[in-house]
Amino acid sequence: MSELQNLEASSLTEIGDCDDLEKLERLRTVVFGKNGRFTKIVKKLCDLSEEQKSKFGSEINSVKKVIENKFSEKFVKLEAYELNKKLEAEFVDITMPALPELSGKIHPLTKVEEEVMDIFSSYGFTFADGPDIESEYFNFTALNVPDHHPARTMHDTFYVHKLADAEGRKLLRTHTSPVEIHTMLANKPPIRFFSIGRVYRSDYDVTHTPMFSQIEGIMIDENVGFADLKWVISDFLKKFFQLKDLQIRFRPSFFPFTEPSAEVDINYEIKGGKIFFGAGDKWMEVAGCGVLHPNVLKSGKVDSEKYRGIAFGFGLERLASLKYGIPDLRGYFESDIRWRETFGFSHFVR
Amino acid sequence: MRFSFNWLKRYLSTNLKIGQIADKLTAIGLEVDTLENPDEIFRGFKLVRIKTAQKHPNADRLKICSVEDAAGNTKDIVCGAENAREGIMTVLATPGAIIPATKEVLKESKIRGIVSEGMICSYSELAIPSKKEGIVEINPQIDLSTSVGDALGYDGGIIDVSITPNRGDCFSVKGIARDLAAAGAGSFITASEKIVCNSSFKFPLNIVTEENNLSSEYAPMIAFRVIRGVKNGPSPDWLKSALQLAGLNSISTLVDLSNFWMFDNGRPTHLYDMKKVEGNFHIRFAKVQEAFVDIKGNEHWLFQDMPLMADDKSPLCILGIMGSSKVTCDENTTDILIESGFFNQVLVGKAGNLLNIQSDSRIRFERGIDRSSCIPGLEGITQLILDNCGGEASEIFVVGSEPKNETRITLRKRKLNDIAGYNVDWDEAKLTLKRLSLKEVGAPLDERATFSIPSWRSDLNIEADLVEEILRIKGYDSVQEKSIKVTVPENDKILEKRRQVIAVKRLLAARGLSEIVTYSFTKWNIAEAFREEKDLIKLINPISVDLSVMRPSLLPTLLLNAANSLNYGEKNIGIYEVGNVFFDSCEQSLHISGVRIGSKYEKNWIDHRKDADIFDIKGDVFAVLGYYGISEKDVSISSNVPPYYHPYISGTIILSSAEKIGYFGELHPKIKKLFGITERVICFEIFNDLLSFPIQKSDFFNGKIFPKISRDFSFLFAKKTLIGDIINKIRELDTKISKVVVFDHFKLSDTEKTIGISVVLDAVDRTLTEKEAQDVSDKIIKYVESVGGELRKK
Repeated sequence: MSELQNLEASSLTEIGDCDDLEKLERLRTVVFGKNGRFTKIVKKLCDLSEEQKSKFGSEINSVKKVIENKFSEKFVKLEAYELNKKLEAEFVDITMPALPELSGKIHPLTKVEEEVMDIFSSYGFTFADGPDIESEYFNFTALNVPDHHPARTMHDTFYVHKLADAEGRKLLRTHTSPVEIHTMLANKPPIRFFSIGRVYRSDYDVTHTPMFSQIEGIMIDENVGFADLKWVISDFLKKFFQLKDLQIRFRPSFFPFTEPSAEVDINYEIKGGKIFFGAGDKWMEVAGCGVLHPNVLKSGKVDSEKYRGIAFGFGLERLASLKYGIPDLRGYFESDIRWRETFGFSHFVR
Repeated sequence: MRFSFNWLKRYLSTNLKIGQIADKLTAIGLEVDTLENPDEIFRGFKLVRIKTAQKHPNADRLKICSVEDAAGNTKDIVCGAENAREGIMTVLATPGAIIPATKEVLKESKIRGIVSEGMICSYSELAIPSKKEGIVEINPQIDLSTSVGDALGYDGGIIDVSITPNRGDCFSVKGIARDLAAAGAGSFITASEKIVCNSSFKFPLNIVTEENNLSSEYAPMIAFRVIRGVKNGPSPDWLKSALQLAGLNSISTLVDLSNFWMFDNGRPTHLYDMKKVEGNFHIRFAKVQEAFVDIKGNEHWLFQDMPLMADDKSPLCILGIMGSSKVTCDENTTDILIESGFFNQVLVGKAGNLLNIQSDSRIRFERGIDRSSCIPGLEGITQLILDNCGGEASEIFVVGSEPKNETRITLRKRKLNDIAGYNVDWDEAKLTLKRLSLKEVGAPLDERATFSIPSWRSDLNIEADLVEEILRIKGYDSVQEKSIKVTVPENDKILEKRRQVIAVKRLLAARGLSEIVTYSFTKWNIAEAFREEKDLIKLINPISVDLSVMRPSLLPTLLLNAANSLNYGEKNIGIYEVGNVFFDSCEQSLHISGVRIGSKYEKNWIDHRKDADIFDIKGDVFAVLGYYGISEKDVSISSNVPPYYHPYISGTIILSSAEKIGYFGELHPKIKKLFGITERVICFEIFNDLLSFPIQKSDFFNGKIFPKISRDFSFLFAKKTLIGDIINKIRELDTKISKVVVFDHFKLSDTEKTIGISVVLDAVDRTLTEKEAQDVSDKIIKYVESVGGELRKK
């Protein structure tokens, strides 16, 4: 075997045996360095004839290429190995728990309020607001509920310790309907608005809390009537419950502020202990509504011969309970921690 | 209003079943609350044939009957009835059935050592009025598989209807039947309206009317009659059973008949036992603070304008509302005075409210009864008494006269269509009103019709009332929906504001605070602690002392909620509420308020800070304010806080124009005590009404970015130096300062602290030179020195 062949064989073996980058670099010097093995062989070229030089030179070059290739191959391999070793040393147990931030929830009434807003504003209803502390005039008289009328006592009104004025005693509004009067007085027809707010009645048991929330809406125009009212309520309920086949029943009823008046039921059935709307033949009451009584239009300084109004009211908690299966009305206002976790919504949910 | 189907049939001839009647009632606005359907009443009952009847081995009077049902199953039943014998068909109640008479659930039982697998029923156990004794015997021709209800020809069942306040006329079986008939559910039987009783003597009493205005206002008409020689005692079965099914107690025949007649015909009458009356009868107003003992034995103090029947000594009855126990009929009653009056519905309601007395009579008068019913109603009750208690009736004596104000309403075809929202068939509409006993008066016109209103419908007063009657009887279902034209609301600022509040709620939830909703009222002593200089608004009639004052701040109810969570063992609490607070002369304003207790994180291995502190809550506050375009540089913070905050760890946020927009800080230890909280509580209040829409910023932007220069300083300050103000001032020192950040705070001693401040400098149009940066730095150092700070040498 020639010296060159020996060099090639031994170098390849040594490169193969090399197990870290530093050794590899040292070996490179041993082979290709100034006094390296290879350099020594190259130096021997000087002693050869031109003919031999070119023959031997090309042999040297091919051996050099083989060894260099081997070197770079090994270098890549060792480099990858060593990087991996370094990364491994940085091991972190990623199964450890993340920073447990307290999760905040929005109240279901807020969620439902937003849903209701979206639907009514899509019809062109604007939002109106009114005070929680009202006068007898706006809460009752202007709404065609005369003194000592059974409908007035039915409401179990809370009165507040403030001097009565020309508008009568001060009370906590028993419904959101006073907003109708304020809005009529502040605007010229056509008017369409809705309102959402707290109302108060002196009643406390499993199905009643002394405070709850109502949604109120009216539409006053020259050409609205009971047929339009039915559409608004039906369309709203179908959109709210996201059920296109929801059955809606209008039943005659009585409210002093509307004539004709109706209560509205939706159909449901109970299967496996769960309630399903839009199916079955049982009825659940969800709203009261009607065509505004001319006396109410008069209180709002609206010409009752020229205009008519349709009006409706829903219980916000009731809608929330029905849609999201929230059982006890009292839970809404006790809002204890378990209740919040169960019935609250993530702030992301829209 | 509760009544049996059989009772209804006194006034309604119908082929409909009870379920169909119930549906019809609800459809015409007489909402059925509960329906006791015979199919449900007889659940668990079936027809059986007695195959053998043998003597009970351990009892002389009992038999053991082997009975067989339609499916051929046999059972042994112990029975004591004499007519229990081989071959007859009867009714068996199986275990689990509810016995109608007792409402008890039947259980299998051992009778004298023998197991009885059910009960063979008598008519009285089935609550069916009958004169037959013993067990029920069914016509043997009937197939055994027939339902019990059908086999008995039972058409009973109970309907309970909730009557709206306008329908006084439907507080009677008669009125309900009349409405049903108008709606096509059968035909109305009018017989009871034509009764006239024979009178055998002149009205014997002198009834003294002391006030003239009494008759014209409160009691326009009262009809009286005396019946002598009645015999009072327990009621006959039919009467007991009718009242029992209607949910009333049986007292004595006379009292029961008066109640029966009120439920049947809608006509309240009052009966006075004449033996118990001292001297003459008087119709007069009550004296101030006059004592009155009602029929239930409750004492009342009367008001001056309450109309009474009285004797020489004391009040006997508050007209239209309730009688006194003094003149109640009992088993010794022989002579009675019957009073049948028409009283003003508003004044009855007012008197009833003042005295807080509820009665079946009041309910009817204040909702309006038939103003023409005084005499026919008196004749009807007289007939019932004569039939059931005997006696002789006097002539009728009338005080006042029937109000003659007949109502007339004109209905225009156009108005009918307008209110309905579609074109209603005009002829059909008029027909509907006629079916409701409205009479068309005057010459018929094409586009309008005038109707006279029957005396019992005091609720019909305006055109719209007639429209409701037409639609109600036609059925609301027949009205086709008509879609409205959707419009685009212009500039709905209030909705926009409301949506912003919801965005703030989501923002707070994202920061780990949960929304709660609490009552607007709270305890007085707690509200008192949060009222600052404001007046509290108290309720006159609170539901309890815990809910008696309108809250002047959201914190009381938030803290009650937090205290409750702590009691449940919760350690880390973050809650907020958005709601109104109330103060002074009924003012209200919308607040956003939050409370944090414990850590922002659950116990963990990463962040070891213990509790959330003032700077966490300040972060919450400025996150909310940031939503409204307000940052720390836009406000100043004053240490002048309400007394419920920690005086040295809290602040008032003041917006440029010296307007308070909120508070934040630690809760005062004294206040924590009120709620039983020992943990550190940090909280905030933001006055949402004072915040306006986010300001649109239009900063100069030329699309180029130049490198920023950052300079850090360490300054020495006296401990109580307010750094926030200094930061705000530094920001304004030079336009090249784009950001000032505090990166370090160190308490050097009890009197000194060091503060690390990092300042970022840049320009919108060029890279700053080192010289420019140095000039700004010098300016900052000079300013800090001017306010008592000192640059620390490294």
